[in-house]
Amino acid sequence: MTERDAVITTRGLVKRYGRTRAVDGIDLDVRSGDVYGFLGANGSGKTTTVRMLLGLVLPTQGEVEVLGRRMPRGGREVLPRVGALIEGPAFAGHLSGRENLSLLDASGPGGTRRTRRRRIGDVLEQVGLGGVDRRPVRAYSLGMRQRLGLAGALLRRPELLVLDEPTNGLDPQGIAEIRDLLLELHRVGTTVFLSSHLLAEIEQMATRVGVLDRGRLVLQEELAVLTAPTGATVVTTPDPAAARAVLDGRVLTEDGHRLLVTAADPAEVNARLVAAGVPVTGLAVHRPTLEEVVLAAASTSADRVERPGQGAPR
Amino acid sequence: MLLALPLVLRLWPAGDDGRSAADLRTAVLAGADQGWSGIAESSGGLALPETDQLGTIADLFSDRTRMRVWWRGPEDHRIDVVTATGETDLRRTAAGRWTWDYQSDRAGWTPAAGITGFALPAATDLLPSTLTRRLLSEADDGELSRIGSARVAGRAALGLRLVPADPGASVARVDVWVDAETGWLPLQVQVFDQSTGTVPALDTRLLEVDPTAPDPAVIAFRPPPSADIRSDDPLGLLRDVADRLPDVAFPDTLAGLPRRDVTGAPPSIGLYGRGVTLLAVIPLPGRAAAELRRAADADPAAVHDQLGSRLTAGPIGILLTGAPRNAYLLTGTVTPETLAQAALALPGLGSQR
Amino acid sequence: MIVVELRKLFRRPRTWVTIAVLNLLPIIVAVLLVLTDLAPRPGQGPAFLSAVLTNGALFPLAALAIVLPLFLPIAVAVIAGDSVAGEAQAGTLRYLIARPVGRTRLLVAKLLAVLVFVLVTVVVVAVVGYLVGVTLFEAEPAAGTSVSGTTLTVQELLVRTGYAVGYVTVSMCGVAAFALCFSTFTDSPLAAALGALAVLVASSLLFTLDAASPIAPYLPTRYWLAFVDFFRDPILWRDIVRGLALQGVYVVVLLGVAWANFTTKDVTS
Repeated sequence: MTERDAVITTRGLVKRYGRTRAVDGIDLDVRSGDVYGFLGANGSGKTTTVRMLLGLVLPTQGEVEVLGRRMPRGGREVLPRVGALIEGPAFAGHLSGRENLSLLDASGPGGTRRTRRRRIGDVLEQVGLGGVDRRPVRAYSLGMRQRLGLAGALLRRPELLVLDEPTNGLDPQGIAEIRDLLLELHRVGTTVFLSSHLLAEIEQMATRVGVLDRGRLVLQEELAVLTAPTGATVVTTPDPAAARAVLDGRVLTEDGHRLLVTAADPAEVNARLVAAGVPVTGLAVHRPTLEEVVLAAASTSADRVERPGQGAPR
Repeated sequence: MLLALPLVLRLWPAGDDGRSAADLRTAVLAGADQGWSGIAESSGGLALPETDQLGTIADLFSDRTRMRVWWRGPEDHRIDVVTATGETDLRRTAAGRWTWDYQSDRAGWTPAAGITGFALPAATDLLPSTLTRRLLSEADDGELSRIGSARVAGRAALGLRLVPADPGASVARVDVWVDAETGWLPLQVQVFDQSTGTVPALDTRLLEVDPTAPDPAVIAFRPPPSADIRSDDPLGLLRDVADRLPDVAFPDTLAGLPRRDVTGAPPSIGLYGRGVTLLAVIPLPGRAAAELRRAADADPAAVHDQLGSRLTAGPIGILLTGAPRNAYLLTGTVTPETLAQAALALPGLGSQR
Repeated sequence: MIVVELRKLFRRPRTWVTIAVLNLLPIIVAVLLVLTDLAPRPGQGPAFLSAVLTNGALFPLAALAIVLPLFLPIAVAVIAGDSVAGEAQAGTLRYLIARPVGRTRLLVAKLLAVLVFVLVTVVVVAVVGYLVGVTLFEAEPAAGTSVSGTTLTVQELLVRTGYAVGYVTVSMCGVAAFALCFSTFTDSPLAAALGALAVLVASSLLFTLDAASPIAPYLPTRYWLAFVDFFRDPILWRDIVRGLALQGVYVVVLLGVAWANFTTKDVTS
């Protein structure tokens, strides 16, 4: 990993509600240029963490630094450079989308009045609401509100986007559109902190992943490293018994016609099998899926309620 | 802290220059012509019977009454009785007296010649200054004593106590607090009756004082064009009664109290007593007596015995006796025993039995 | 920020409905008064109402006296109770704080917006009252009679009405501060408004109770009616000054509590 600027750093971040620790000593490390996938089941402390990053919730212990400033103290300088979508969009229902964006922009620092109208037009265009009329937000569909929320986050061309479940309520085309938009923003230099419980969403977009489990950060790594080749090869053959005989003890697991073989080079495995006359229908370098990595790192689902003494060991 | 501030100001020690009770009284009595202005508040625990005619007087003694005062002298002053939604005012000048009631949009005029020493109680009588002068004017020096000093309306005040020597007095004592700086302006008067002990039956005090003479322009009054202007009768409802009262030969003393002569008082009313111990005897025509008796019967606080119906309101006692003929209404600041004794000595009552 | 809050408040249909409803009661009273010609008995009914029969130009004051005890404080409690809790309930509070809007600034802007609402409402009530008064009653706009029976010039009357409008507005500060303070403790605008109203009802009740007289000078409703004192001649400043100071104390204390709570509060809505 090259030394890029830290965008979000937390040290020993703890949030206690009464006796429960919603967030239990996490050390986030998000760097400039990341699409950071913040993954965790519902109730794992994701939202509380996001709120602490934005100064909404005050940490019980530990430090938060965003764009080089301590939060929540530095919020006034930092937050105008951050765009956020927190737990779904929220707007004044009796006003139109444009008016809502205009009021939000006018209520804090960093939104120049002169460029406001143009910026609102631009972001509405960007999120696919360019043709929106004057009807009140109350009459919007869930997907339209989500897009408007995203527009609000993008209004001041932020260096950092903190997005909590940004594709919620969107149809598959909508999800694809938003994904393309975020990747485009990332390409031009925006750091994206993407919090989600959807593995697929994170896997498709993130460059770096943090996995939160019951308030603890159990994993934090580049996606490329997590899904790097394991030094094994996946062989698919109609005759697994013959293959096992040829490969002699190098077979790690056998699952029907699918064998996992200790071998960094698929070509070498292929050559031996073909030479022995074993038919090979598929051959691939073995990489773990994000799902496998997450399941290995995290315990059971957070919303399971086990009887005492039967809970998964922590 | 904020709650404690008024308390601290009240308890702040006030200096006492050791003036004697007699000197203090002399100064107060001489101070009637001195000008001042301020805001006064009286609160009475006197639950007088509520009748239609007595309404405003009963309120005066039982409620909290707030007054704005501009005083230049006994014949030159203005007193506004301030209520939440209006006011009833009194403007006294040398020519006479205006009354003004905002809510009924009514002004009343009494020429100076019609104003006498005898009248129904009014707001004027509740001012600490006028009340003090009335209460102290006939007091003996032996009845007066000094009771230290206190702080009233944010000013240092010297205490003066009157304990009436009369055995028939229902007033136990009167505490007067006189402004130390001017020496003549009473700031507070508390009247205690025989029963209540520490809670005054009548308490009147100034809340704000400016001991300089007010501008005469404040006192002058011209009724507004819309107002309903009528001629006031200072005797009010008493006039109707007084004209129809039977003439009675009153004895010279009644229950040990000497008869007194008050200018303007109808001759058919007998007035007795001295200082704070006063008794009025009103012979009643048959109809008025029956009416009053009905009111007395309806009052749950009234006590009925063979002498008649009796009411007490703080130091004030009321006795309605003799019916249907030779009925009398006795009222005053005397004990119930004195009232009974006086009733029995009246012509046509005790003497006949 | 205050401009944003005002835009939010006055772009809202509910705000104008509230003001319209508030004007309804004085109008009903005026119509009934004209139809029946029954003036309230002295000492009863709202201040200035009996005076209106002789001079309709005084109806703005009667209208203020009519809405002051209940309608106006209810409206203020609803609007102020909604200020923070309403944003929390709608979810917009988190976006405001993350925008970022300083929490102290937000509180002050909310209070100022509520006060502007009160001022607008009171002025509308006064203006509508004047129009109703001069249309329905005989008016003598040339002059007016003070409560003390002296004659006030039109200019004096206007200035004093202006004072009264200002005083009534300030009188609502306490209610607004209570509702705003409660509004920072709950995410339910209704709970905040009801809380503030509960305080007012308690205060009005205690005010009539002799046993509560030691605390009477500190009740938030104690000096509300003192706006009548502007129409005495000379003006009776005692209660007015105390009323202003008392509202000031309530605003400072409650805003302090609201601030202490709100600036250390986790925004979880």
